Amino acid sequence: MKELEKVKRISIASTLFILIILIGVLSFKRPKNMYALNTKNTLEKLTTNNYLISINDLDKPEIVLIDVRSQYEYEKGHLENAINLPSPEILSDENQQIFKEIVNLNKTAVIYGKNPQEANIPFLILYQLGFDNIKLLNAENSFNQNKLINNETQIETYKNDIQSFINQSAENLNAALKAKETEPPKKTIIVKKKKKKVAEGGC
Amino acid sequence: MDKKKIAKVLSFRYKILALILLVLAGGLVLLPKYQKQEGIVSEVLLNNATSPERYITTDQIANKILNQDPSFILVDVRDEKSYNNYSLPNAINIPLEKLLNEESIGYLNQNQFDVVLFSNDNLYADQAWMLCNRLGFKNLRVLNGGLNKWFTTIINPEKPNDDMPAEAFELYNTRKASSMFFGVMYLDQIISEDIDSNKSEKKQVIPIKKKKKKVAEGGC
Repeated sequence: MKELEKVKRISIASTLFILIILIGVLSFKRPKNMYALNTKNTLEKLTTNNYLISINDLDKPEIVLIDVRSQYEYEKGHLENAINLPSPEILSDENQQIFKEIVNLNKTAVIYGKNPQEANIPFLILYQLGFDNIKLLNAENSFNQNKLINNETQIETYKNDIQSFINQSAENLNAALKAKETEPPKKTIIVKKKKKKVAEGGC
Repeated sequence: MDKKKIAKVLSFRYKILALILLVLAGGLVLLPKYQKQEGIVSEVLLNNATSPERYITTDQIANKILNQDPSFILVDVRDEKSYNNYSLPNAINIPLEKLLNEESIGYLNQNQFDVVLFSNDNLYADQAWMLCNRLGFKNLRVLNGGLNKWFTTIINPEKPNDDMPAEAFELYNTRKASSMFFGVMYLDQIISEDIDSNKSEKKQVIPIKKKKKKVAEGGC
């Protein structure tokens, strides 16, 4: 009787044990796209490496252009030989395969969008996944009568010196005020009224 | 004799089983470590980053500063030199390289305030936002267009043309008023003040006394 109870207990314990292991194995999900860099490394690389490429360097043979704008915009006009991978789909299996191929072929992927700010997001995601051979195109693409125009831009430049603009505006105001003050006061000419003299005797 | 020995060993059978499990558990430690993933998974990060929810416009920020809204802090992620030259009022400076330092994280990872990141345009601010979002920090916003847009919309707003709708004029007037708050002075400021001061002068009322009709004096 005692032995039977023991067996019962053991079987319950072992089924529980196996269940836990099964649950553990099944629920273990490996993320599909793994980060190769943690945030600190990414930051260090971002601040030390040059990840920008100018449009003048695009004619090299190892460059693969990637357009992250929407399909509509891509079809409206795109750079020569560019592949369209819209940024929301950059992590799909096929697109990741493309990037891996680019790595295997020892080529450089150049990402561009409407402007560097837009391309920045997919670029940074891929950068954290460990693709080292990607660059950001330093150019702005706009349409003029359905023709794509490509202009070199500068990121993060301080276009207008705000402080000096404010100072200038104050100076202008002071100058205007001074000009007002120095205006010569109007001369007032006092017209002396002649006193009426008592009529002297006529005749 | 043999049976006795076996029985003796068998009496330890549970302990032996437990020992085997312990050894196996110890073996888990020796399994190849796969790199621990820091922060949220990349798919979620991409989703967060493609939504424009994080952007805050220059008008909204100007309005918040004007109303002395205490619920947000401004973080300038440019270098120290640019920060010293000009920055938004009461902004703190966390250069991008120092973003993940311990002192900086104290500002970025908290639930009390909204944190608005800005730089000259929004490239650096977006990068900072992205790294912080991966780490799961909440309440982070990015100033859309950065300081360059701040200049063109708030500090030096474009005057609307005559044929533009009334809203454009209204917007221009609010922007102009807030730019005055941020220290810009306009030439028409004095002119309008002059007009005001002229208006305020009270007109002197000169009572005209009616001449009393005199009783006709005798003529000659």
